[in-house]
Amino acid sequence: MNQKELRELIEFLKEQDIAEFELERGDVKVRIKRNVPGAAPEIRYIAPHPAAPVEPAPASSAPAVSHSSSAKAETTSPTASTAKETLHTVKSPIVGTFYESPSPGSPPFVKAGDSVEVGQILCIVEAMKLMNEIECDVAGEIVEMLVKNGQPIEYGQELFSVRPRA
Amino acid sequence: MSRRAATNRPAQQTDARLGQIVRVLSNYSTMVISGAKLAAEIGATRAEVWRLVQQLRHYGVSIEGRPATGYRLRSIPDLLLPEIVAPLIRGTIFSHFIHHYYRIGSTNTTALEAAAAGAPEGSVFLAEQQTSGRGRGSHSWNSQRSSGIYCSVILRPAMPPSEALVFSLAAGLAVQAAIQSFRVPVDLKWPNDLLIGGRKVCGILTEMAAEATRVRHIVIGIGINVNQITFPPELQNSAISLQLATGKEWSRVELCAALLKSLDQEYRTLLERPNARESVLLRFQERSSYVKGRKIYVEENGGYHGTTYGLDDRGFLRVHTPDGIRLVLSGSIRAV
Repeated sequence: MNQKELRELIEFLKEQDIAEFELERGDVKVRIKRNVPGAAPEIRYIAPHPAAPVEPAPASSAPAVSHSSSAKAETTSPTASTAKETLHTVKSPIVGTFYESPSPGSPPFVKAGDSVEVGQILCIVEAMKLMNEIECDVAGEIVEMLVKNGQPIEYGQELFSVRPRA
Repeated sequence: MSRRAATNRPAQQTDARLGQIVRVLSNYSTMVISGAKLAAEIGATRAEVWRLVQQLRHYGVSIEGRPATGYRLRSIPDLLLPEIVAPLIRGTIFSHFIHHYYRIGSTNTTALEAAAAGAPEGSVFLAEQQTSGRGRGSHSWNSQRSSGIYCSVILRPAMPPSEALVFSLAAGLAVQAAIQSFRVPVDLKWPNDLLIGGRKVCGILTEMAAEATRVRHIVIGIGINVNQITFPPELQNSAISLQLATGKEWSRVELCAALLKSLDQEYRTLLERPNARESVLLRFQERSSYVKGRKIYVEENGGYHGTTYGLDDRGFLRVHTPDGIRLVLSGSIRAV
């Protein structure tokens, strides 16, 4: 499930005034809980690691989402939010060497506290002289860089934690 | 100069009419063409034709004549103009979108920007001269005017980024095949440097933009030393050109065409044949003296020595060390 589908789902839940929603599909589990009708929803996006490639859902599955929501999601009595802060992690799609900056000695792409946008370059992972620009897949704030400059990286390894913007 | 393009001053793409003049003059290579006819053929005024002819002469194209007498081409110029290169690579994915620059910062930087802006797969960026040609890390690429091939291509393979690493090795094989089609033996150093007598004749820098599960675009940048006669002192022991290696001047146009054809072939094979990946790894091991039993120094991870021990199934280089087998991930190795 991508950002766009997630947004659509949230819009749908808002429209239907559904307070809590959970969806499991393969390795992906999405749980959305809204405090008050109309308020910004709390999002929990759970992908077990090692990060299994998430199949982008075909456009035709959109009805399936609303289907399962009407079938599965129940409007529960509004409860006070008990969910803790959840952070998003950016993972490496390839094996390689991690670089925090565009070239040796230049300032890093991002540092803790920086505000980032979807598509913004966070780092480079190099494998076989192939430079892979890793982009942020969520808008928010960089909380922590979880690896060191020059460190070898495994496939699916967590690189950054990001606090998603509400 | 960096792993990633810094801000790039937009380069001026070559006036397409320059190539058109060369094409028209080549079509009638034994005849003198009047300024009026040339002007009509390319949709310019006679005064503009004269100005463009002067510009071509400045770039080393040998054209006889004046506005009053008409023009004649003395010889087909060895310039990588779309009008000259495209007819030689018909049927490849690279023949439709060739961009030429007399002077550019870096073909890779410009190709990356174009790719991000939606340039189609198969787009080719060729330059006569790079003012800030880039290599790995903080390395630059010496790019003297009209003596090398500076070429970047855009690919958009439908695959996850982890599967795209093989393009790095395939690009090296493609350049090796292109040079060897002129009967000059070239060694391959993992992952994709090309060496003659231990000196570098070609370097490749691949840059990729990808989502977690899907490659958006890959830019492969290839720099070949073709007709350089000298190199700056700091490169004299590590670089070589094809001319220096063979003692003859090379046609950059022919080599560039051979390169794009062989790149096209590797790419299509990788997309279409189920076992193409294994074939790349197998051929790489056959055609590189660096893959097995070679004593090397690995620069990454604090640096270490070892003896090469083949490739793993993803194409990473295995190195036998006193601490066991280690994998070289990023790329910088040298013989010791």
